[in-house]
Amino acid sequence: MEYNKNLIRIANRIQDTLTKLRNNHYAEVLNRIEKLLDKMEELQVKSKLMRESLSRGWNSSAEECCNNLSRILNDVTHSTSHVQQLVDLPRKKVPMLTELGNELEQLMQEFEEVEINLAEGTISVETEPITLEEIYLGPFKIQLRLAMLSKLYSSPAYHVIALDPHPAATSEEVTHPHVSNEQLCEGDGSAAVRASLEDGRLYDFFTLVKSILNTYSADSPYVALSEWEGISCYNCGYTCGSDNGYFCGFCDRDYCEECSLCCHECDETVCSGCVTSCSICDDSVCPNCVRTCSECGSYCCKSCMEGTICKDCQESEVENEQRNEPISTNTQCTNTNQPDTTPKEVNSTTEGAKPVGLEIQSCGMGEAGLLPG
Amino acid sequence: MRILFINNDGGGFADYIDIAENTTVEQFFTIKMSSQNAEDYTIRVNRQPVSRDYVLRDGDRITITPTKIEGAAV
Repeated sequence: MEYNKNLIRIANRIQDTLTKLRNNHYAEVLNRIEKLLDKMEELQVKSKLMRESLSRGWNSSAEECCNNLSRILNDVTHSTSHVQQLVDLPRKKVPMLTELGNELEQLMQEFEEVEINLAEGTISVETEPITLEEIYLGPFKIQLRLAMLSKLYSSPAYHVIALDPHPAATSEEVTHPHVSNEQLCEGDGSAAVRASLEDGRLYDFFTLVKSILNTYSADSPYVALSEWEGISCYNCGYTCGSDNGYFCGFCDRDYCEECSLCCHECDETVCSGCVTSCSICDDSVCPNCVRTCSECGSYCCKSCMEGTICKDCQESEVENEQRNEPISTNTQCTNTNQPDTTPKEVNSTTEGAKPVGLEIQSCGMGEAGLLPG
Repeated sequence: MRILFINNDGGGFADYIDIAENTTVEQFFTIKMSSQNAEDYTIRVNRQPVSRDYVLRDGDRITITPTKIEGAAV
């Protein structure tokens, strides 16, 4: 008896809420029209400015007005379709109490865990544990809040609560690929979910939400299942998505962006533990590309090596060789400030050269002249 | 005869439609859901699960709800 009374009470509440929803529907239509009218007003103001600009020959100002008008027109299009959506919704009758009572009974028969909380004004259904692509997500509670049902067109009327949360490693509020902060993104099911709530078809509503929770859409999740468990950096412990993680093939471990580098020689990813800094140019070098100088034993990249010794050692060797070279006394010193008095015979076989048979002879006083030979 | 058909696949609209006498649930599904597989749907007549050879009657309420619906991210 008590059970039936509770069912009738909750059915009554649902009916009241759906009646409010009908009225709110009209209020929401008005609200959206007002937004559309605001946009139209903006359009009017901008077009006046444009007319003014044109009359004064201010082309730059007219151009800016044009750009603004384009933006406002996009907003008008969006606002118009927003109103149209609501206005075009078929008018539905508020279901009778018996119908709502039947809905609640069907809910109780078909779902194992159904909770009706009169005090809080909620109807909740628990799903079985959900596993998608071998990722365990746990069971969920679909909680319909009657107070929010009357505001269906402006706020979500239900929450999806993880009962044994196994959220994405990179985002705690994402407990399911299509649930964030307890809000389900209905995707392909949104029209049907809304219609079922408007009609008071509670069984259909919960079944639809359950179907969405049991389906994975790889095209547009909050977090993809392939990245659900993320990657934990071996060095600092930071958890990142697989797209932001790096694998060091030298120690076979995963690292975050901060703890991994790129070998300057071969571009291979190497962790901060396996990398070596070239002692000459300071570039990062992987274990495959690092070289050891046979002279000083320092680690260098290939570019800083000259054979088996590093550039520093090579330079030192050259300097030592130069320092140790003896100075020769037979070397003729050439003084370019004094004229060269040695007569020279000029013979040329190339075009444009000096004529054959002329001699260059010193005239003294640092001068030379051409004399016929 | 007339039945109420609630198609939760897509828009979720409820419509009264006329069907031939002695139409079974299976036949109705084939007509309305053509290329779809009945295994992918929950079918209820007057809020009760029924067998595929159940013969629909005047005034029956049939709902067809997909078991797989792709969600998204906002």
